[in-house]
Amino acid sequence: MAVAVKSGGAVKQFGAIRQNRHEYAKEWKKRTGGKVLGYFCTYVPEELIEAAGVLPVRIMGSHEPEDVTEPHIYKMYCPFCRDCLAQGLKGRYDYLDGVMIAHSCTHIRQAYASWTIHLPTSFQYYFSMPAKVQTPLAKPFLTSEMKAFKAALEKWTGQKISDDKIDKAIGVYNTNRRLMREIYDLRKSATPPISGMESMEMVVAGQMMDKKEHNKLLEQALTELKKKTGGNEPSSRLIIIGSEDDDTEFLDMVESLGASVVVDDHCTGSRYFWNEVVPKDNRLEALAERYLTRPACPQKDWEERTRWPHIEKLCDDWKVQGALLIQQKFCDPHEFDIPYLNKKLQEKNIPSLFLEFDVLVPVGQFRTRVEAFLEMIQQASLEF
Amino acid sequence: MIEEKFKTQPFKVFGKAKELRQGFYQSYATAKDEGKLTTTGSIMSFRPVIAGLGDFVHLGGEPYGAVVGADPIMSQQFTEETESRGYARDMCGYMRNYLGSMFLNKYAFGGPFKKPSFVFHVHFCEHHGKWYQIVKETLGVPVKVIDFPVGPPDDGRQESREDYLYNQLQESIPWMEKVTGIKYDDEKLIKALKNYFMNESLWGEIILLNRNRPAPIDIKTLYAFQIPGTLFPHEQRCVDFQKELLDEMKYRVKEGIAAVPVERARLMHDNQPPWYFLDLFRYMEQHGAVVVISHYVLFLGGTVNEKPDGSFERQPTPMEMGMKMTNRDEALRALVKWSLRRHSWRVGISNLADEKKDLEVKLAKDWHIDGAVMHFNRGCEMIASNEKEVRLALMAAGYPVVTYEGNMADRREFDEGQTMRRITAFMESMNLKKIA
Amino acid sequence: MITAGVDIGSKTVKVVIVKDGKILSKVIMPGGRKKDEVADQAFNEALEKANVKREDVLKIVSTGAGKKKALYAKDDISEVGADAKGVLFYFPNVRTVIDVGAEEGRGVKCDATGKVLDFVINEKCGAGAGSFTEAMSRALEVKLEDMGQMSLTSHGAVPMNAQCAVFAESEVISLIHKKIPKEDIIKAVHDAIAARITSMIRTIGVEQDVCMVGGLSLNVGFVKSMKDALGVDLLIPEDPEFIGALGAALAAQG
Repeated sequence: MAVAVKSGGAVKQFGAIRQNRHEYAKEWKKRTGGKVLGYFCTYVPEELIEAAGVLPVRIMGSHEPEDVTEPHIYKMYCPFCRDCLAQGLKGRYDYLDGVMIAHSCTHIRQAYASWTIHLPTSFQYYFSMPAKVQTPLAKPFLTSEMKAFKAALEKWTGQKISDDKIDKAIGVYNTNRRLMREIYDLRKSATPPISGMESMEMVVAGQMMDKKEHNKLLEQALTELKKKTGGNEPSSRLIIIGSEDDDTEFLDMVESLGASVVVDDHCTGSRYFWNEVVPKDNRLEALAERYLTRPACPQKDWEERTRWPHIEKLCDDWKVQGALLIQQKFCDPHEFDIPYLNKKLQEKNIPSLFLEFDVLVPVGQFRTRVEAFLEMIQQASLEF
Repeated sequence: MIEEKFKTQPFKVFGKAKELRQGFYQSYATAKDEGKLTTTGSIMSFRPVIAGLGDFVHLGGEPYGAVVGADPIMSQQFTEETESRGYARDMCGYMRNYLGSMFLNKYAFGGPFKKPSFVFHVHFCEHHGKWYQIVKETLGVPVKVIDFPVGPPDDGRQESREDYLYNQLQESIPWMEKVTGIKYDDEKLIKALKNYFMNESLWGEIILLNRNRPAPIDIKTLYAFQIPGTLFPHEQRCVDFQKELLDEMKYRVKEGIAAVPVERARLMHDNQPPWYFLDLFRYMEQHGAVVVISHYVLFLGGTVNEKPDGSFERQPTPMEMGMKMTNRDEALRALVKWSLRRHSWRVGISNLADEKKDLEVKLAKDWHIDGAVMHFNRGCEMIASNEKEVRLALMAAGYPVVTYEGNMADRREFDEGQTMRRITAFMESMNLKKIA
Repeated sequence: MITAGVDIGSKTVKVVIVKDGKILSKVIMPGGRKKDEVADQAFNEALEKANVKREDVLKIVSTGAGKKKALYAKDDISEVGADAKGVLFYFPNVRTVIDVGAEEGRGVKCDATGKVLDFVINEKCGAGAGSFTEAMSRALEVKLEDMGQMSLTSHGAVPMNAQCAVFAESEVISLIHKKIPKEDIIKAVHDAIAARITSMIRTIGVEQDVCMVGGLSLNVGFVKSMKDALGVDLLIPEDPEFIGALGAALAAQG
C-alpha cells in the first residue's frame, strides 16, 4: 500500500505500517522495481543503501512463540535473535533480495549466520563495523569498510553510486533524524502529545520503510502533534533503557497506568536516529564519523563508559522520574551495563525497575510490578 | 575375533609439563616482588607485544577462570560473589570466576588478588571488552583493549583489517611505555614473536600427528600439555618443551605407541570441556572411544595450513616464509598477518556462516573420526556460536553426533547424570560396549 | 525364549516379560525410595502374572534413570534405545519416537531394526513438561486426568510462551486473573509445551511414522496440540508407560 499522508492520523499510521511491514516492502518493490535488503543491526550504513536505490528493512521478530530455530540457535541466545531467524525460516521474508549485518553482538550474528546458510540470497554482506568506536584508529578502518560496501552495492545493482546520490541519501536520512528528534523534543513538555508506545511505533516503522515516505509521515505527524492541546500530565515520567525492545504491548500497559515513557535509550528508539551525518567532502569518512559517534550500543561501549553521560542528559532534559531497564533475556552486553546503570540511577535518585523480556512478556505479572514501581515514584516525588 | 590392543606408555615429557604448569600462578603473585612486570587480560591478547618491556607474568583471564572452574567449591564462592553484585548468571563462566576472585580480593592460589601494572587485552567477544572495564573500575588499573576486526579473510578487505589491527598494536607500545615508565626494547619484541610463531606452528604439528592410528595422544593429556602454550607462548621454555613433545609424538607414531590400548572409535570433541569433569573422556575411552581432535585444542595455541584438497599440514612460521622481522614495524606486520589468517584462533570466534562448519567437517575427515561429541557450553557463547550449524554439517557429512549441555567453568550448570546417560546412549548407538 | 525388561524411572518401576515376541505380563509399581527392593517386587509379581519361573527367564535387561538398581539384570540399555525397540513392537514403520515425561523430553530417530540413528534431549531452557502440566492442574484447580478432555473443548487461542516453565507459570496466573475460560488456558498450556517439544524434535527432523510415548501421551488434549504443532499424525501405543521396559525385554531377546 503506498503511504497516503492523511491529516489527523499520521501517528496512527506508524503502527499500521509496522503491522504490515511485509506487504509494504512487497508493494514498494512492485511500485519502484527496486531491490530490498534486509539488515540485522542498526550500525548498517543505510545511507549507502538508499543511495544505491535499494530499500533497507530491519529484520525483526513477530512476538510469537516459534518452534523452528532450535536446530540452529541455542535457546540461551536471546529471544530476539531467534525470533528474527524464525521469520526467515517461516518464509515471511521471502521477498528479500539480500541480507546483511554490521559486526555486532554474538547472538544476532548467529541469526545472520544461520540465515545465510539456510536462506541464501544473491547478496549477503558482512560489514566489519569496528567494536572499539572510541579509538580514532577506527575511523580509517570504517571509512575503508564504507568504500568496500559502496563498491559491493554498485556491483550488485549494476549502478554507480555518485557523490550526488550519497549527498541526497544523507539529506534524506538527516531529515529523518531531525524530524524524529523534533518529535522527541515535544515529549519534553509537561503534557507530551505523543506516547512512548506511539513513539516506538514511529521509530520501528521507519526501520521498515522508505525513509522518504517516512519523512512525509513524520512531517505530518509533527504538524499534528504541535497543534495538539489539552493533554494530561502523566503521573510519572519514565525512561526506557534497553537492548532491542519493540514490545509495544508492554509499553501500552505501562502507559495505561497513567505513566508516560517520555524518552528512551534503546535500538528501536533513540539510539537509532540520534545523531546526524555532518557533511564533508569525504562523504564516506563523514558516514564513518556518524556511526562511530552515535549513542553506543553496549556491545561497543568500552574502554570508557559513554552510555551513562548520554542517558543522564536524557533524564535531565526530559525530566525523567523513573527508569525501566528492559533487557532481552540472555543479552550479554546489557547484562554488563545494568549493574552500573542501576548504581548511577540510584545516585541520581531515579528509581529503576529491571525487567527481563522474552518474545512474549507476562503482561499481567509485569503490570503488578510496574504498578508498585509507579507508586514508589509518586511517593518519592511527594517527599520532595 | 581377538581385539587389537596397542602398546601404550606414559609420556616422557609429562614431568616437564607438570613442572612448567606448576608455579606459574604463584609466579604471578610474587612477580612484582621480584621486579617483574605483571599484566592481565585475555590469553589471546598479543602477549609477545608486552615482552618488549622485559620479563612479565600475564594472568590470563580465561585459564585463570578455568583453573578456578576446575575447583567447584572455590568457583561457586567466586561466581556467587560476582552474581551478588548484579551480574547475570548466563555471563561468561571464566569471567564470573575471575571477577569474583578480584571482588573478594582472594587469589585462587593463596593471598590477595594482586593488582597488575596494566591490562592488555583483546576484544573478540561481547564479554571481553567489557570484562576489563569492570577490572579497571574496581582496581583502578590502566586498560588497553585491542579491537579484533572480524570478517572473512578472502573478501578483498583483509588489508584494511590488517591495517586497523597494526595501527592499534603500534599505538599500544608508547602507551605501555607511558603507564610503566619502562623503555620499550624492539629486540625483545622480535625474540618473543619468533618464539610465539614457533610455538603455534609446533602445537599444530603435534596435533596433526594425532591423525595417525592409533592416536599417540588422548585429549585429556593434550589439555595438560596445552597449558604452557596458553600461558607463556612467547617464551623460550615453551618452545623447548613443545619441540621435545613433538619429538616424542613422532617417536610414538613410529613405534605405534597409543594413547589408549583399545581404539575402536575415534571421536571429535567440540568446545571447551567441563574442566571439573575431564573423566568424561576416560569414560569414553573405557568403551574404546578415543577423542583425537578438538577444534578448541588445536586453535588455542596452535595453527595449521589447509591444503587445496581440504586436508591439513604444518603451518610454516613467518620466518620460514621469508617475512622480515628486523624492526618493530616488520615484527608487528608479521603478527597481524599471522593473527588474521584463516586458520588462526580467529576461526573459532569468527561466527561467519560457512567458515566454522566447513572447517570442522574437514577436521573430521582429516582426523578420520567416527563421530563427534559436542559440548553445548553455556559458559562461552562465543566459542559456542555456530555449534548447532556445525552439528547439522557433521551429520550431513555422515558423522553421528551427540550433544550435552554444561558450563566449562561453572559446575552448577552441569548435570553429570544426564550427561553420562547421553554419552552411554551414544556409545550404545555406535555399538561400543564397555571393555571388559 | 523368555526375557524380561525392567524400567526404573524417577517415579515408577515397570517390568515386562516377553516370550518369543509375545508379551506375557506387565507390572507397574510406584518407585518409592528403595528402588532395588521395588524392582525385585515388581519382577516377582510379573513372573507370577506370566506364570513363569525365575529360572525360565533367559535374560533380563534394565533401562531408565535407575537402571543400575535392578541388581538381577545382566545388562542395561539406554532409554533412547529402549524407546526405539519398544515402539517398533507395536508400529514397525515408526522412525521418530517422542517421549515426554515428567522432567525430560526426548526425541529418537531410529531405523527399521530399532537402531538409534540420532537422539535429542531437552536443553535446560525448556525442561519439565510433565511436571509443569501437573503444577498447572493445581493452579487451575482441575484434576490432572481431566486436563485433556477440557482442552479439547476450547475454542479460543491464547498465545503463551513456555520456553521457561517459571515464566510460563506467571502467564497462567495472569490468564486466570483475566478470567479467561479454564479450557482455553489448558489448551494454551498444551500448545505451549507442544511448541517446545516440537522445536526440540526438529533438531533431529520429523520422519514418519511418528510415535509418542511417556506420561503426557495419555493426555488427549496434549496429543491434539502435538499433532497440530508437528503437522503429522501421531501413533500412541497401548500402555505407553511400558514402552521402555518392553524395549529392554526385546533387546534381551537379541
